[in-house]
Amino acid sequence: MSIQTAAWLVLALPLAGSLKLALGFRFWRGAMAGWIGTAAVGLAFVFALVTLVKLLDLPAEQRHVASSLWDLANVGGVHIRLGIYIDPLSTLMILVVSGVSTLIHLYSVGYMRSDEGYTRFFSYLNFFVFSMLLLVLAGNLALLIVGWAFVGAASYFLISFWYRRSTATNAGIKAFVINVIGDVGLVLGTFFIFRRMGVLDYGPLFHGVQHAFDKNEASLVAGMILILVGAFAKSAQIPFHTWLPDAMEGPTPVSSLIHAATMVTAGVYLIGRLHPLFEWAPTAADVGAVVGALTLLVAGTIGLAVTDLKRVIAYSTMSQIGYMIMGVSAAAYTGGFFHLTTHAFFKALLFMSAGSVIAAMGNEQSLDKISGFRKAMPFTFRCFLVGGLALSAFPLMSGFFSKDDLLYEVGQRGGWYYGLYAAGYIGSLFTVIYTWRMIFRTFWGEPCEQALALEHGHLYHAPHPFNPANGEVEDTGVGFPGPDHHIAEQTWQMKAAMSALALLSIAGGLLLLPFESLEPLRKFLEPTFADSIVAHPKNTGLETVGLVLSSVIAVAGIAFAYATWVTNAGGAARWQQRFAPLHNLFVNKWYFDELIDLAVVRPLAAFGRWGRDTFERIVVSGALVGGTSGIVKSGSAAVRGLQTGLLRGYAGLVVGGMFAVVLYFLLRAA
Amino acid sequence: MTISLSIVLWLPLAAGIIALALPGALARWVSLLGAAMVLAYAAVIAIDYDTGAGGLQYVTDETWIRSLGVHYTLAVSGLNVFLILLTAITFFAAALWVALKDTDLPKPGLYAFLMGLAQSGVLGAFLAQDLALFVVFFDLMLVPFFFLTLVWGGPDRGPAVLKLFIYTLVGSLLMLVGAIATGVLAKAGAGHHVSFLFSDLQRAPLGKGSQEWIFLVFALAFLIKMPAFPFHGWMPDGYLQMPIPVLAVFSAVLSKVAAYGFLQVALPLFPRGAVQYQELLMLLSLASILYGSAMAFSTSQVRLILGYSSVAQLGFITLGIFALNQQGVDGALIQAVNHGLVAAPLIFIVALLAARSGGSEDLRDMGGIAFRAPILAAVFLVLTLALLAMPGSSNFIGEFLILLGAFKSKLAIALIASTGVGMAAVYALRLYIRSMHNRVGPKVESRELSRADGFVLVPLTIAIVAFALYPQAALHAGERDVRARLAPVAAVQHGGAADLAAAVRRGASR
Repeated sequence: MSIQTAAWLVLALPLAGSLKLALGFRFWRGAMAGWIGTAAVGLAFVFALVTLVKLLDLPAEQRHVASSLWDLANVGGVHIRLGIYIDPLSTLMILVVSGVSTLIHLYSVGYMRSDEGYTRFFSYLNFFVFSMLLLVLAGNLALLIVGWAFVGAASYFLISFWYRRSTATNAGIKAFVINVIGDVGLVLGTFFIFRRMGVLDYGPLFHGVQHAFDKNEASLVAGMILILVGAFAKSAQIPFHTWLPDAMEGPTPVSSLIHAATMVTAGVYLIGRLHPLFEWAPTAADVGAVVGALTLLVAGTIGLAVTDLKRVIAYSTMSQIGYMIMGVSAAAYTGGFFHLTTHAFFKALLFMSAGSVIAAMGNEQSLDKISGFRKAMPFTFRCFLVGGLALSAFPLMSGFFSKDDLLYEVGQRGGWYYGLYAAGYIGSLFTVIYTWRMIFRTFWGEPCEQALALEHGHLYHAPHPFNPANGEVEDTGVGFPGPDHHIAEQTWQMKAAMSALALLSIAGGLLLLPFESLEPLRKFLEPTFADSIVAHPKNTGLETVGLVLSSVIAVAGIAFAYATWVTNAGGAARWQQRFAPLHNLFVNKWYFDELIDLAVVRPLAAFGRWGRDTFERIVVSGALVGGTSGIVKSGSAAVRGLQTGLLRGYAGLVVGGMFAVVLYFLLRAA
Repeated sequence: MTISLSIVLWLPLAAGIIALALPGALARWVSLLGAAMVLAYAAVIAIDYDTGAGGLQYVTDETWIRSLGVHYTLAVSGLNVFLILLTAITFFAAALWVALKDTDLPKPGLYAFLMGLAQSGVLGAFLAQDLALFVVFFDLMLVPFFFLTLVWGGPDRGPAVLKLFIYTLVGSLLMLVGAIATGVLAKAGAGHHVSFLFSDLQRAPLGKGSQEWIFLVFALAFLIKMPAFPFHGWMPDGYLQMPIPVLAVFSAVLSKVAAYGFLQVALPLFPRGAVQYQELLMLLSLASILYGSAMAFSTSQVRLILGYSSVAQLGFITLGIFALNQQGVDGALIQAVNHGLVAAPLIFIVALLAARSGGSEDLRDMGGIAFRAPILAAVFLVLTLALLAMPGSSNFIGEFLILLGAFKSKLAIALIASTGVGMAAVYALRLYIRSMHNRVGPKVESRELSRADGFVLVPLTIAIVAFALYPQAALHAGERDVRARLAPVAAVQHGGAADLAAAVRRGASR
């Protein structure tokens, strides 16, 4: 099998799975649907491995393969192929995406078991995997945009999966619209590049950019900043991030797969993919790096204050992606993609563990109500612990090596990049504290009612099914969310998936250890980034400082969190009081929602209302055609006959007028 | 293969006349048979049309009124080949809808006759290669719609028809004047006789002043027909009162005749006017996009949401045309087909939604319809995503090319217009979510598509998906003819006024 065939199969299998489930939704009921979906993605992972093997067979300088099926459009100089591009970067991405997806599908087989929309769920989930693979395999900017929009749509389908909840549909529409804004940015950015270069395929684009543009030329910078808008919208970077916390309305496996491990990292991939263009427009790259740094700090502070379990993890995701965006924008490519990979492992694991806890709570998500689950859920607890340690970059866990490598590569560039480097370590401290705040509040303390019940072997059920976002009692008899809950302790599929991810979260660091001969990932990605024009001078001292600093922050942060939320009752309240204004700012998420509402949503709504209530009345009532309004107003039912009479009159007038005009010109022509 | 365009042109009317003489059910089936034959013929034409050669094919050329220089000349070109197919598809779907679903429609014979007349009118406008013939068909196609609305329309149809009539009357009269003036002033025929043939008129371009005012006259007529902001006053009432199958063809096809008119008449015959007023037309398009989108997410009447979204979509199409470059016009042409393919089934969906929400067509009375109707939900979802020009759909390729064209000619306008893409997502999703999702509305009763609904909607949806996979089919067909129609404009733009005629000849012979 050729490498092209393998890669196309990676793409085709999840699509086939999605269509099979969608078209056969009457046949594939029950667990069968889940297994079909899982098998489709699992096979895609197998072929991703085949692709990897075939790629490694090629000599390093030939590790970029393009393949295309047919032309989508080839007109007026615009040539859009249905084509893919296989190189180490896209291969790494398909491995991560299909691998993590397989595990999350497996988890969902158990977790979603009692949901009435089971088949629909797996059809959407497979469609998502297809879209994400299309995004990373696309061989030109236009097809990238297609994949880009497809993952947005899939995300929307899944956020609104429980569509009877208005909170879910509102969150879905918000996510979709912000994503479309990102798409538009991407399209316009593409225009800026296309206008000059006339190509959309990656190969010619990367080779040609230095001839087509001057370095840092304004129109290239403008184009790349617009492309960054696309990256920011998809990867939940300031100020396009407000959809991500709301997206937690979706089922937890969705949060795990789409809003943590894969889709939200698409912006990172985009910047890495287009690095020859970004490096040629360093101003745009710097914008990306600064926005990433701001995001990691802002999201970290919000994570300290929010009380919804899933939203804490969501802000954490936003913050970690801030690291990656900052990294790849600052040309820390290996570090960026290393962190992307390990983050996919441990963040997916954290979400799965949180899902298990939420199920045990009967869908309650508030940290104010969850406590003391350590004894009731030993397996979930251990998984949460592993995920938390990796997230807080505890020494020797995967997150430790990846975050450190990322920041080290940023620091290597020196100068003002040290500012970003410092921001990264400040953010680290926030990360450790919010992670352990979450862990201590969930698993330590007096067991809550639900935990106690579980200790006695009874899984808690709320007396009435309710929507945790607004407390509304759910439609009964709809069957989604399902009536039963599933926790990892009682469901082997969930347990298997979480165990695998826990192992990866611990051992993922092996991909790249801070010793020169132990860097397989860097060597693998080398061919993709060989054309980088950014120098990374070696700085062994800095590397050591980073590792030490990281360890100190992790240990100190955990100690601080333990003191605040475990040993010292009321410690948290005292902190909140002392920094009341700051706490307010964080709890209200820096007022981004309110700002966007004020600046965008309200003016548009007012414009619409003005059109509907004022302007339209003038136009429709016929001010533009003179007397119609009078005629129409007097046209009550009684005079309908008269009106048809009028119509006849007009018709006569038309015919008469026509003749007059024709006559006039005929006379002139003669 | 010999294809006679006169057959495909008059077949619908012939079927209508036969139906007029037949009783009830038979009339509906004869009308359906007629539409099916036209569809088959149109499909054969679309397959048989030699896209490699482009230009006019299957030409029928007769002198009609010798003294006036009016020719009965029909031809298929790269511009109209897919629009003809679109016309055949939507009229067939409408006939199928009536045959399967509206079995208690009063006066079915008369209805079939009027629809046949309408289809012949539309096909005539697309096929005509003579300016006078074009004007005749352009006016003819509207007449049946007045009567279709008057007889089968909603409760307030009287004022609606009156308004529609007055608006289009203004447009028609202006256009007639413009057409006659063009013919008489150009005297383009052999030996300086009056001729209305497009080919003759292109060879003898008018002077600058005449071109400019005649261009404006035609532009106004087309903008009213689309409708474009601020000439859309007839639209809300018209949309609310027309019967569903009539509205489906009206919304899908008639607006496209106006867009086609810009390409076929306004650009090649009055290139100086087009260049002179390019910015004005682009600004009007921009206003249509923004205003139409804002209105579409402010109203709760489903028909009006679709109506205003048409205003916005037609705004995009006009924007692409007046980018006056290859990409923009190519995009506009394919977008005309795309929008027609999406608009017709969406109008049918309105009827299905109303049937499930106690007869109301107001979003506030809907909600939760998806629950027991997964197929309806899926079909509607595909249509919604196509309507908002989701990348991967053919609509996206159209919008991409349109914006690219606009971007190359007027950067600022393209940047502002692109906000319309975001707003489209808002109104399209709002329509979908508030009808299909959320809590169940007070009178809502969710149930699946009936078999008859499926026969109408599913093939249309499949056509949209298929077209999304291979939009190049239509793009390739149109490319050469678009270049030919743009040649005069390009010549004006590049200042070479003297060699305008030469450029036109080159374009035509290419």
